[in-house]
Amino acid sequence: MIPAETNTLVADGVHRSLDSEWIELQRLVGWIACAVLAPLLLIGLGVALLLGSLSFDLKLLLSVMWLAVTLLLAWLAQAWPAIEYRRFSYALDPEHIEIRRGVIWRTLTSVPKSRVQHIDVAQGPLERRYGLATLSIYTAGTEFARVDLPGLTYARAVAIRDWLLPGRARDVDDGT
Amino acid sequence: MGRHLRALLLPAAAVMFTAGSSGRDWDLWLMLLLIPYALAALARSLSFRYRFDPAELVVRKGWVFRSERHIPYARIQNIDAVQNVLHRALGVAEVRVETASGGEPEATMTVLPAAALTEMRQFVFSGREQAPVDVQASPAEDSSEVILQLRPSEVLLYGLIESRGAVIMAGGFGILWELGIFDRAFERATGSELAGGGVFRQMLRAAIGQAAVSMRAVFITLLLFLALLLVLRVLSMAWAYVRLHGFVLRRTGDDLRVDYGLLTRVSGTIPLQRIQTLTVSESPLHRLFGRVSVHVDTAGRTGTEEQPTRREPIAPVFRRADLESLIATLVPSVSLTRVDWQPAHRNAVRRARVRTGVLASIAAIFAAGVLKWWSIGVMIPLALWAWVYGRQYVTHLGWAFVGDAIVFRSGWLWRHLTAARFSKIQVITRTESPFDRRTGMARVSVDTAGAVNSEHTIDIPFLPAETATTLAATLSARAAETAFRW
Repeated sequence: MIPAETNTLVADGVHRSLDSEWIELQRLVGWIACAVLAPLLLIGLGVALLLGSLSFDLKLLLSVMWLAVTLLLAWLAQAWPAIEYRRFSYALDPEHIEIRRGVIWRTLTSVPKSRVQHIDVAQGPLERRYGLATLSIYTAGTEFARVDLPGLTYARAVAIRDWLLPGRARDVDDGT
Repeated sequence: MGRHLRALLLPAAAVMFTAGSSGRDWDLWLMLLLIPYALAALARSLSFRYRFDPAELVVRKGWVFRSERHIPYARIQNIDAVQNVLHRALGVAEVRVETASGGEPEATMTVLPAAALTEMRQFVFSGREQAPVDVQASPAEDSSEVILQLRPSEVLLYGLIESRGAVIMAGGFGILWELGIFDRAFERATGSELAGGGVFRQMLRAAIGQAAVSMRAVFITLLLFLALLLVLRVLSMAWAYVRLHGFVLRRTGDDLRVDYGLLTRVSGTIPLQRIQTLTVSESPLHRLFGRVSVHVDTAGRTGTEEQPTRREPIAPVFRRADLESLIATLVPSVSLTRVDWQPAHRNAVRRARVRTGVLASIAAIFAAGVLKWWSIGVMIPLALWAWVYGRQYVTHLGWAFVGDAIVFRSGWLWRHLTAARFSKIQVITRTESPFDRRTGMARVSVDTAGAVNSEHTIDIPFLPAETATTLAATLSARAAETAFRW
């Protein structure tokens, strides 16, 4: 896979990685989630400990479990994005866009250009901070009515969008 | 109008009921908020006007936000009509007009006089250079070809094979349970008082050996249970009769027309072009009677409204022997004779057995907890089942290219076969689960439009990894070559 620093769009079917800033973005999201979940779980733990009809051993076990879960969430927030990044790529060829993602469940999704109905380029507040955007490809499918490709720089997302859409001029829906 | 008010009626009644009993005032206040909404919905429906221009249907609605919509007759794909008992008494129908673009119907006329519907069909079909089709067409009058006509015996057979109205049955069952009918029937039949806790708990205790129940009581309970199942089947047949009475499937040019219903009469059109996938299903009961059930997915309806014309299978019960001719009509490029079925990976049997075995083990653990030593009697059949099912499932798994479509079959006892033309394929995915990776397999699935209620889609498991890659690439190429038209 070729790292995504080139500015020009080449539809050669070669898989390219997302923008490396995506790792930082996902880390931030992960830490925010951690910062929300851990206190909630702590409150739950506190309630369980204080309502006190549990043995000391059980209380100790619950506390250790909380600690373990919090550490796991922290690790996921910090380490997982980089792991996922290695397995996240997309490729453009004259007829399709292909997206590969997934670490444990690995998926290859292929959308023919002629099946693209419309496209969104969206930026959440966190994405804007890193200059990234998400490309949402809408198809006529059911389970895959929308295919998302995050971690693109805004310019690249727009470039891919413009590249995907003109292809539809080939088959016009004239309703017959 | 009726539809909107009906949608509000049940929640409103629920709110009133609960508010009264628990004395929560804010529920009533919340309901007051519904009133402006109801009024707005009412106003909108009252403002609905339509007219038939020479070349198009013009629909206007709204007081404050007005809209006028022009629908050229040439663009109209479907005109679906639903008539419930009230509609038929008044000689009107609820009509939905659809064009080629997907989504909600372009115009929904809730109360349209039947004469106007006939007129509209004439305008539309003459605009598309076809013979006009009447609302209550008799086969002799129009130039359509009858594909399937279900006699009452066939409809009842359908009710027997499938169990329709399952939700109602379950509801009825639940109510009966709550009212203690079962307990009373048990007491009446066996003449003995229940120790407490109801019929089924009594039987369970007997199985564990904690309570003494006479064999006669057990026998009678089983009989009652079987009688209940029989009653449910009879009710299913009655439901099917009401729902599908007079079922006729016709082909008129490039469209299919389907009419059915005893009380609520449904009349719908399905342009052949809109068929996305075709699925043939067989349960053991189907096979017993030599029948199959054929469903199609159609595009253009993604709304969550009730869609009576789409819920029923296109051929609810059909003779297996005539299946080829039906498929030739619906999807001409596909023929199911002499299909070159591609098998699954050679280790698929082992995986299928393991998969079923895991489920069986969970069931066995439960059984062990409840039945203790007697659970051996449950575990052995379960293990045997996992062994046999694994092999049979993989034997009946297959995919193939047929004409300009991909077909996929799966299932041993409950068999399904789905065909999707390349021109209807939307998105192709190839997935590897961790178990797939370990055994060198992968799964390929094809997404199509309108697969909302599909029981069976092109979702092929246990493929050799290389074959999966090639298949996904081939499907992508074929899909890209063909244009997709709604």
